Formats: sequence, structure tokens, C-alpha cells
Amino acid sequence: MTVVPAQQTGGGGGSSGLYDVLELVLDRGLVIDAFVRVSLVGIEILKIDVRVVVASVDTYLRFAEACNRLDLEAGPRKSPGLPDVVGQVTESGARGKSKGVLAGAAESVSDAFRSVREGGSDSEEESRPRARKSTSARRKEEQE
Amino acid sequence: MSTYVYGITAASHPSLPENMGGVGEPARPVRVLRAGDLAAVVSDAPDDLRPKRRELLAHQNVLAEAGAGGCVLPMRFGSVAPDDEAVTGVLVERADHYAERLRALDGRVEYNVKAHHVEEAVLHHVMAGNPEIRALAEANRLSGGGSYEQKIQLGEMVAAAVKDKEAEDAQVLERTLEPAADAVSVGPESTGWLANVSYLVERARAEEFLAAVERARTDMPHLELRVNGPLPPYSFVEPGPAQPAGTAAGGADAGAE
Repeated sequence: MTVVPAQQTGGGGGSSGLYDVLELVLDRGLVIDAFVRVSLVGIEILKIDVRVVVASVDTYLRFAEACNRLDLEAGPRKSPGLPDVVGQVTESGARGKSKGVLAGAAESVSDAFRSVREGGSDSEEESRPRARKSTSARRKEEQE
Repeated sequence: MSTYVYGITAASHPSLPENMGGVGEPARPVRVLRAGDLAAVVSDAPDDLRPKRRELLAHQNVLAEAGAGGCVLPMRFGSVAPDDEAVTGVLVERADHYAERLRALDGRVEYNVKAHHVEEAVLHHVMAGNPEIRALAEANRLSGGGSYEQKIQLGEMVAAAVKDKEAEDAQVLERTLEPAADAVSVGPESTGWLANVSYLVERARAEEFLAAVERARTDMPHLELRVNGPLPPYSFVEPGPAQPAGTAAGGADAGAE
């Protein structure tokens, strides 16, 4: 899945704030039995997807590749947590590469949020099978 | 005409955002329904209300505005009552409960903190601290990336080590922030982040809390922390599970005695 969230920066209010707060607005807060709730079906499905996609062979392969790349870039004995390396890679804009697996899940979440932003229930339905396909397709590739 | 409910507050709340734009397009004006010592912040509910961005923002904005002037119990997004009478009916029926929650949360706000690892940095940690992983990565690299099985083996080991590090960092983070908060509510686990925790913080102590966040940022540069607040106390509107929720009906008491 190559969808990149529209915004990723934290802090502040506005829309990026909403991105992080969404889960609170949707999942917490007071519930009163006598009231009905607006249907949130599409969003809940995508949330479950986040768990499914990540605990997979795909994750292991990506981690393995990330480690290989890390060695090449920094040398195996380089001390941990070097901010210069991190900063550099992140800033280069290669988001998919620099954040890799960990951010992958966040991106799936933001897909959900994106479809919320755009509002159409159509786009919610759409992004699910697409995500699945790309994952299994990649896996198949690896196996061949 | 059904009624959209944003939150519940005290009737004595000094500055409720009446006539502010709420959910719907065009935005339905916010109204206030009073019953006894309580008030509900509501508007008409649009027929075609969906969880779109603008609607979620409207919900959040009305609550932020109302919460600025006094304690408000935020409703979960999308709560719709059949009519105004149904809302005031609930206010009367559960008056004691809501009054108690308003007292408990008075002067307090929620800060939500989400943390995830900066991947490059955490992989450095994992490689540096684990000779076995380092050796396997080296072997794979020398053989042009390694076979499918070797990659899986390495990836599995790395994933396990990263997971351990996540758990460890989540604990350290919580220990750093907890002292500045009145209560803690741990959000649902997900692989998107290693910590997703809401803190109930006294307004007067907000600076202290934010200073603790900065400390955590400094101490753990391999973590990316996102802090959102002050927010209405979404995660603290219901008392903890220990509290009996109403004693009369015992429908689902499987295994009690």
C-alpha cells in the first residue's frame, strides 16, 4: 500500500490534531443507551485491518531488509540512537523507507482517517481490498 | 426532529456556546437544554449524518468551546436522541450520576499521548544490543540478502526484539508522565504505536505535565511522541469498572455465586 497520509505532523490543533484525537471522539466519551449512534461501519473494519496486516511474514521480510540496509548505511557497530542518521533519512522525504514497518500501521490507520475526511462510504469500502491485495501480492512475489 | 447531543454539563455553566455552528451542512446551531441542575449541549440532528471529517471536527469544536468555560462530559461522536424530551428525560433520570462525574472531573482535562519508535533508531538499538541478530544480518548480507527462510528468521528475531523494546519504553514513558496526572487511561493496543495513553490532568498542573513530556522526549530520542490536549475528558467520563453501574438488573451475572 503506497498511500501516504495527507499530514503527519503532531502537536497543535487543527486537522493534524483531529487525526490523533479521532479515536477518542469515535471510541470514548459518554454513551447513553436511550440514544442511537450514527453508523461507523467502514471505520471499524479498517481498524481491525491494522492488526491483521502487521503481524505477518511481510513484516518479517521488511524488517530483514531494513536491517540489511541499516548495516550498509551505518556499519554494524555504530552506536545506537544516532540522531544524525535518523534525521537525515527522515528528512530526505523517503518516508516509506525511513519509517518502514512501524509507520506502516500508522498509514493504514490514516487511510481510515483519510476516508473519513473525504467522507464517502465508497472510498472506505474501496481501500480495504486494495490493501489486502497489495500485501498478498508482495508475499507471493517473495515466494517465487 | 431528532436531537444531536454533544455533551452534558452543569446548568450553572457560565458560557455555553449557544448558536455556535454544530454538525450538519449547513451547520445546525447549538442549543442548550436544561433540566434541574444539569444541561445538555445539543443541536438538531441532520438526517444524513455520517462520520465525515467536518462532522467530527464540529463535534470536537463545540466540546472544546464548551469545555473552555467549565467541565463538560463529552458524548461519543454520533449520539442522537429521538427528540429534546428524550434528552431532558435522561438528565432527570441519571442526574445524580452525571452530577457526580462533573464534580470528579471539574478543573481537569485530558491529554492523549501516542508514542512510536523511530525505526532506524530502534533497529540500531536492537542490532547493537543483540550479537545474535547482528551475526545473522551480517551473514545474510554476505550472501546477497539471504534466502527467503533466512530473511524470515532474521525478521522474526528483530520483530521480537523490537516488541520487547516497545514494551520497555512504554513502561518508562508511563512512569515518567504518570506522576503529573490524576488518572491514566490506557487506549486500545495496536501495532501503530507502542503507547496510546490518556492522562487526566488538572488544568493548574498542565505545565508540569507538559514538562514531563519534554523530559521523556529528551531521555528517549528514539521515540516519537505526539501529544494532544487539553481535550474534553473523553476517556474519563465513565468511572472505573470497579464501580457498580446500577444494581437492580442482574441479567449477565454468569458465574456469580
